[in-house]
Amino acid sequence: MTVRPLDPRLLRYAVSARWFLLSGAALGVATTACILAFAWLLTVCITGAIDGRPLAELLPQVGLLVAVAGIRAALVYGQDLLAARGAARVKSELRLGVLDAVRRLGPGWLAGRSSARVATLLGRGMDALDDYFSKYLPQLILAVIVTPVVVVVILLQDWVSAIFIVVTLPLIPIFMILIGLATQVVQRRQWAVLGDLSSGFVDTLGGLATLKIFGRERRQIDRMRSITRDYRTQTMRVLRVSFLSSFALELAASLSVALVAVSVGLRLVDGSMALSAGLFVLLLAPEAFLPLRQVGANFHAAAEGVAAAEDAFDILDAVKTTQADAPVPAGERVATSGPLRLTDVSVDYGRGAVLAPISAEFAPGRLTVIAGPSGAGKSSLLGAVLGFAPHTGTVELGGMPVRSSTEERPWLAWTGQRPSLVLGSVADNVALGSDPVDAVRVRHALNLAAAPEISPDLSVGVAGAGLSGGQAQRVGIARAIYRTLDRRCPVLLLDEPSSALDHDTEARLLDGLRALADGGTAVVIVSHRAAVIGRADAVVRVEPMILAAAS
Amino acid sequence: MSTDRRTTAPVSSREVRSILTTAQPRTAGWVWGVVFGIVAALSTVALMATSAYLITRASEQPPILHLSMAVVGVRAFALGRAFFRYLERLAAHDAAFRQLETVRVDLLRRLIPLAPDGLGRTRRGSLLSSLVSDVDELQNLPLRVVQPLLTSVGVAAIAVWVVALLSPTAAAGLALALVAAFAVGILVARRVSASAERTLAPKRAALVDALLDYLGSLDVLIAYGAEETGRRKVEAADRALTRALTGRSLGTGIAAAALSLFSGIAVAWSLVAGIPALSTTGGGSLSGPGLAVIVLVPLAVFEVVASVPLAVSAWRQVRSSAERIARVAPENVPAEISVGEGTRSWKAEPAAPAIELRGVSTSWPGAVSPALTVSSLTVAHGERVLIEGASGAGKTTLAHVLVRFLDHTGTYRLSGQDVRELPVEQVRSVVGLCEQIPYLFDESVRQNLLFARETATDGELLNVLDRVGLGDWVAARGGLDSRVGERGALVSGGQAQRIALARALLRNFPVIVLDEPTANVEADLAGALLRDLLRASGDRTVLLISHGDVPAGLVDRAVRVVDGVIAPA
Repeated sequence: MTVRPLDPRLLRYAVSARWFLLSGAALGVATTACILAFAWLLTVCITGAIDGRPLAELLPQVGLLVAVAGIRAALVYGQDLLAARGAARVKSELRLGVLDAVRRLGPGWLAGRSSARVATLLGRGMDALDDYFSKYLPQLILAVIVTPVVVVVILLQDWVSAIFIVVTLPLIPIFMILIGLATQVVQRRQWAVLGDLSSGFVDTLGGLATLKIFGRERRQIDRMRSITRDYRTQTMRVLRVSFLSSFALELAASLSVALVAVSVGLRLVDGSMALSAGLFVLLLAPEAFLPLRQVGANFHAAAEGVAAAEDAFDILDAVKTTQADAPVPAGERVATSGPLRLTDVSVDYGRGAVLAPISAEFAPGRLTVIAGPSGAGKSSLLGAVLGFAPHTGTVELGGMPVRSSTEERPWLAWTGQRPSLVLGSVADNVALGSDPVDAVRVRHALNLAAAPEISPDLSVGVAGAGLSGGQAQRVGIARAIYRTLDRRCPVLLLDEPSSALDHDTEARLLDGLRALADGGTAVVIVSHRAAVIGRADAVVRVEPMILAAAS
Repeated sequence: MSTDRRTTAPVSSREVRSILTTAQPRTAGWVWGVVFGIVAALSTVALMATSAYLITRASEQPPILHLSMAVVGVRAFALGRAFFRYLERLAAHDAAFRQLETVRVDLLRRLIPLAPDGLGRTRRGSLLSSLVSDVDELQNLPLRVVQPLLTSVGVAAIAVWVVALLSPTAAAGLALALVAAFAVGILVARRVSASAERTLAPKRAALVDALLDYLGSLDVLIAYGAEETGRRKVEAADRALTRALTGRSLGTGIAAAALSLFSGIAVAWSLVAGIPALSTTGGGSLSGPGLAVIVLVPLAVFEVVASVPLAVSAWRQVRSSAERIARVAPENVPAEISVGEGTRSWKAEPAAPAIELRGVSTSWPGAVSPALTVSSLTVAHGERVLIEGASGAGKTTLAHVLVRFLDHTGTYRLSGQDVRELPVEQVRSVVGLCEQIPYLFDESVRQNLLFARETATDGELLNVLDRVGLGDWVAARGGLDSRVGERGALVSGGQAQRIALARALLRNFPVIVLDEPTANVEADLAGALLRDLLRASGDRTVLLISHGDVPAGLVDRAVRVVDGVIAPA
């Protein structure tokens, strides 16, 4: 895994990260001063006492020592406070930035991914940045500030010790990289085995009901034991190598301190050095290594956070390659009524057309069914009308071309295959986007959608929780009907509206849709159910591009 | 069918403790890990002490021979620190992984009687993945909680004792400073962050809900002109969370700051205690090098015990993982889940119907009202019965009663025998269920079939695949060794149903329950799938559960479930 110490995109996309780095650097400078002052005061006190100065004479220095410790504690506290706040702000900033990007990329882009995955990335995924900000970045800042300053101070005191340290310091990143590479090699060799073994655990838990049906559940206990045992031996094989990196870190740091101590000691014996210089160097030497050791120790935590942030950066990068919708020219006339006409409309997501060009007209007062086998691109065709799918050909309403954009189409009421209900009451969902809510109309829309038994006050959880599939589907249809009535939309578009309904309910729904068509709306239904096609005034057939092999 | 209440109910601390007890290894390997850890940490302290001694003693310019012990010590401790730390990590991780065996098997033992209906179902179905990561989290109990605590306590105690040999006053100061640092660091920090933590959890959940709501319905929100409103809800949830996080940040640095402050105080105190005790100037017996040792040792000790605050926060996470596990997999099986087992041996009465339910009523765990009541349902041998009804009407509940996943009141007879008198395994060898979403294991097609009948030959497997209409498909994919992917990702809904039926045929269940085989199948392929499934079932007794179209002529009769009730025919 190649992790740059600091991804420049973090600074580009999260302005608060720059602010965090600047304040972190200020704290780092103050911390360096405290480290030097503490070591120097301590040296003065110890050598002073050994030289025979009484406690009373040294008390001011001891007092200063406590004061410096207090300041240091305040800086440590400030560093943590800053890290926690910085992480919270950067997370919020990235989250809202990605939401903006997703909005600009549009539902067509989101359909190619899982919206739940993006939600997880923006919710829990971002929390991986916490460790990056609290454990890794502050240490990185200190490594950049404290280490060089301490080395220079040591150099001024005793150049021999400085050479020991300067020679050992670069060994740390070199060892870390070498051992990291070795770990990768071992890991790659074990990867498949480890993947199988850890999925074995998940699989056994997930398939427990199936195993019970076949009377195999008791045998899983032994299997679990052996899977876990193999998992341990394989993992330990990887760990034996990867723990070497911390071994090298510790060894380099402690050995160089030991070398400094021994060489200082030997030069003190022959009197070529003063105790104060020796002690001062000894106290400072570990400080030169500490931030680097911490950076190394928290490298993995950081890598995880960076990986989460990178997913967010990728979405932010993607938006740059898509151009924004052209602004609406002032005074452009937009039709709000008339027939919907498609001419040679085909959909292409950039990997070739997914739909044979379609031409069709959907006239007011008529109920048209778009039929065709699954996978023929019926839903993509609706996407083109909605503006979510990039298309060729023209879409016209009342003779005026419809602009291709992901903005709301005021003349269109639509519901997709998934009802996509939002948190709130049934009435909130039915009257989505309308304010104020017309309670009578909500009831009327539910009745037309064959849902007379659903109360508008019923609450709906995330992703339609609390409603059955059939209920959610009808609430979604009622939502489109409400909009048709409320905004006088000339076109009502329904994608597989009866897929979760039984025959009786389907028939009642079709009665309701027929009543809407009689009121002058162009009702367009995507369906291949015989009962729906039987009630249509016209049927548009969509054929698949390529004759796929039967599954 | 919601069982959400069970996921929020408080869990007994006894259950949590029993899970934590299982997670803590007690093996010799583990003890070695702790010993190595203490030796490694002691080496850190000793390196500082011997270096300080070496330098201050050297400045007294003794014969170089007097320093050789110290020189050897410095080098040895420097090597020892890295070396023992490596050994410690190996030993501790090995012990923790060995313990994982016990933890997983224990969890499996708890889950077996509960699955599938006794497992609290969350709305997002993330139960399984969270359970798996919670079990992994338990490994941190020995590694990140117990081990650092034991090391810190051990090293602190030894260091205080060594300092006490040189200066009891300095030792007392060091001990007090350590205690004070922890009192402030842990108690105060816990007060601040525990209350913040409580308010954070619902805010995090609210944000995830708002995000799911917005992203999951983005197309609808745009089409209805409600995108701005949805977006504002996310922003409000984000603001609330960020504000709470900022509030909590006041507590995060307390522990580390307390350690830093008290380490300075301990050093200063050692000076105050040590300087008057110097043999050269004061009236005591402390040498110059001795003074350096008692002053510098506290610095190293505080470096070691800096792991304690991390251990405390790791402990919080481990405990909440254990709580979640206890909630999902309680030791006591709810009464609604079938646990009653008979011992009567299987003796079918040929004249009795295959299945006979009389006055049966059943509830889901934690539910107030019964999910299904059946006044009377009889299915003859070889009969094919369609169970139809709207989704949520109780069709799956019936299937789960038939395979004894759910307990019932009233009578349920299988070929004339009351199922309560039979071992559960016996019932499940007669009635087989093809689940709505068949579980496919992430292995080859062969392994996914073999567990139904381990003795089956490849010929038999291919034959049964042929019968369910997958012969050509398997051949095209490269035979029985082709893989089905994680949770059957490489297999379509219809193919998964066919594999599930192939398993049931291999197992040779006399009665097969097909639970909504077309639920995850494209509607225009559903008819053909049902026809194939029923043809392959041969003359077995079949209960077909479905809410949609069933082509004519496939079933002998239909039974309707309406709002959890099957009325008498």
